[in-house]
Amino acid sequence: MKKSALRQSFDTGIIFGIVHIFCVLIAFNAMLGGLLVKIAGIKSSMTAPLVSALVTYAVVLGLWAGIMSARQRREASNGQRLLASLITGASSGLLAALLAAIFLVMLTFKIDPRNYLTNLSTAFMKACLYSLPSFAGIAGNFFTFVASSFLGGLLVVGWNLIGSARQKIVAVPRGWINGLQSGSAQKQLILKYVFYVLLFVVVAVLPLKWGSYWNYVMGTVGLYVILGLGLNIIVGLSGQLVLGYIAFFAIGAYTVALLNAPQPHNLMVGFWPSLVLGVLLAGLAGFLLGLPLMRLRGDYLAIVTLGFGEIIRILLNSDVLTAFSGGPRGVQGIQGPTLFGRPFDDVEYMYLIILAVILAMYVYNRLQHSRTGRAWLAVREDETVAQATGVNTNNYKLLALVLGAGFAGLAGGISAAMNQFIGPADQSLMASINVLCEIIVGGMGNIPGTLLGAFAFKGLPELLREVENYRMLAFGALLVAMMIIRPEGLIPSQRPTLELPDEAAVNPTAATGEAPDSTTGEKSHD
Amino acid sequence: MTDNIIVTDQVTKIFGGLTAVNKVDLLIPKGSIFSIIGPNGAGKTTLFNCISGFYTPEHGDVYFEGEPLRGKATNVIASLGISRTYQNIRLFSNLTTIENVLVGQHHRLKENWMDAVLNSKRYREEEKHSIQEGVRWLNFVGLAGMGNTPARSMPYGAQRRLEIARALGSSPKLLLLDEPTAGMNPQETLEMTTLIRRLRDEFGITIILIEHDMHVVMGISDTIAVLDFGQKIADGTPKEIQANPRVIEAYLGPGGAALAKKYSRKK
Repeated sequence: MKKSALRQSFDTGIIFGIVHIFCVLIAFNAMLGGLLVKIAGIKSSMTAPLVSALVTYAVVLGLWAGIMSARQRREASNGQRLLASLITGASSGLLAALLAAIFLVMLTFKIDPRNYLTNLSTAFMKACLYSLPSFAGIAGNFFTFVASSFLGGLLVVGWNLIGSARQKIVAVPRGWINGLQSGSAQKQLILKYVFYVLLFVVVAVLPLKWGSYWNYVMGTVGLYVILGLGLNIIVGLSGQLVLGYIAFFAIGAYTVALLNAPQPHNLMVGFWPSLVLGVLLAGLAGFLLGLPLMRLRGDYLAIVTLGFGEIIRILLNSDVLTAFSGGPRGVQGIQGPTLFGRPFDDVEYMYLIILAVILAMYVYNRLQHSRTGRAWLAVREDETVAQATGVNTNNYKLLALVLGAGFAGLAGGISAAMNQFIGPADQSLMASINVLCEIIVGGMGNIPGTLLGAFAFKGLPELLREVENYRMLAFGALLVAMMIIRPEGLIPSQRPTLELPDEAAVNPTAATGEAPDSTTGEKSHD
Repeated sequence: MTDNIIVTDQVTKIFGGLTAVNKVDLLIPKGSIFSIIGPNGAGKTTLFNCISGFYTPEHGDVYFEGEPLRGKATNVIASLGISRTYQNIRLFSNLTTIENVLVGQHHRLKENWMDAVLNSKRYREEEKHSIQEGVRWLNFVGLAGMGNTPARSMPYGAQRRLEIARALGSSPKLLLLDEPTAGMNPQETLEMTTLIRRLRDEFGITIILIEHDMHVVMGISDTIAVLDFGQKIADGTPKEIQANPRVIEAYLGPGGAALAKKYSRKK
């Protein structure tokens, strides 16, 4: 084994060791291990974790290290791979043992590090030493890593040994997928409809089954999908970086709220007309904001719209408007839509949101592939050239802003009714940024990306409630990793493949005989 | 003025202390191929930008079919029938080639966003019609079968031709081509020359050309204007220009005319 390869395996182990130390210092090992053993039905607490939880965590980390280390050595023989994983395990185990030794010293001399590292209670440190007496704990830490890393190496080697058999197994589902994709047009169409019917059944049945908590979570996700699509019209299609987008949401929400709440006006107009009005008002706000904005591009546009968002929020929060819009307390007791005289329950709201999402997706999809959508994209790509090609860029930028604002108004109106409350705190800058991140992470300018982004930003945090403390940490790491690995978003935008007439296949020299304008009556050459 | 599609009247464009275009008068006859040549930095592209509305000249006016262009936005000028290409290719690079041509047709189409959302008859028909026409233009410039390729992944020469197809999409009366053969090999240059000539012959499009390749310029131009330091120093037929001592001096420096004469005698 070459020295450099040895060094590489050793370094890999050191990296994993450092990761391990950090994880232990923030008690992430107890958290992750706790989650893992929870699957088996064992309960482990954060402050005094079970040894089994910590061992599970260490084995997972060690396996990962071993697999990575063995796979790094692409050209190596199986024995060398195993050796590499062993070395990695040993070097990471050394660091783990070092940490365990420090814990042991602190335990014996009764040093309490909790002033600096709040998680390191005596119970926790004892658990980290696997509740074993003195040196046995240190050795335990070391050997857990060595053994699990070696196991990881074995897995890699085994995986490679059964290579041919594996390919046969993989080939079966792959064949199915290919068969589905390469079928005749009619077969494809039938498959498409089957897919839609299945999707429809799932979408229709789920809200009934999964209870009010999930209806609330997925409802929020749905609203964020609508918001994301609206912002995608503005940012993704027409390329204007608008930051205070949530202000349009606020306008829609407050319209529904003020017209349907006992306080402060007691108008009780009814949900549906006020929802329509909310959408229209948001669009109008987009138009009015757009008029002065048309002269701005890029960073300047972002700053001005940021200001707009803050103005709306601060106005709603201020004393001046308390009598009109409820001030910091917000508007409470908003009357939502009714069904046969009884207010909507969570399932019905979920259906309402699903309908709204489908509507938004439909409108977005139609726009995207039309003359309007292409004009927007042209403006995004190169505004100067777009204008010189004949696109009235100002009109189209304005249109994008109005439509995008309308989407936000729709989401806002539904949200106000669903939560029966709206306050200025919901309109924070963070909300605007969230929507923007959602479409950037998902992939700018396309519907699947927006869906994925909304799930990632609104659904995942709910799923991660268990690990609340690490939510933002995980999130930041996710964002950084994503920007490095997929800078265009998880699902990058692709332009549609248009069905071109047969002439596309014709040899150019043959086609030139009949001039382009021979069949297009509207052309006016003289 | 009716037989001149473009008349520039004392057009002057000043950038700070630099007069990029200085009192240039041009008469460009309808249906001709008109070339503008001159050394680097002579103001050719600036003059183009004045005609296509990117710049507003400080003095003087540009008339298109007798109508002054001053104060008109570039999209209005485009819809009057002036299209252009760019010295550095400026395509909508993330769009497919056919979409680029469709954007070119933009101002001639009437469907609006409501049509698209409601999938109206007008939308469906216009979409079908404009795609057909776009494919014809692609075929015409020699990009058959590349309709769904993203513009950015096309080879260089094809991108140049796509720019022309996009410009043709707006059904122009006047086409401004800014160095259409720059960076092309002799074969591609020949094809481009043929293409330009066909544009004029088959569709009667007036063409103004900025070009450095003298074979191209002398081969296809009806009239040539020479700019140097922002001023027009000569115009005329290719023969006249080739014999003009001021033009030779602009390219070769003072005394260049005499040198050229001597050289040509020796030959």
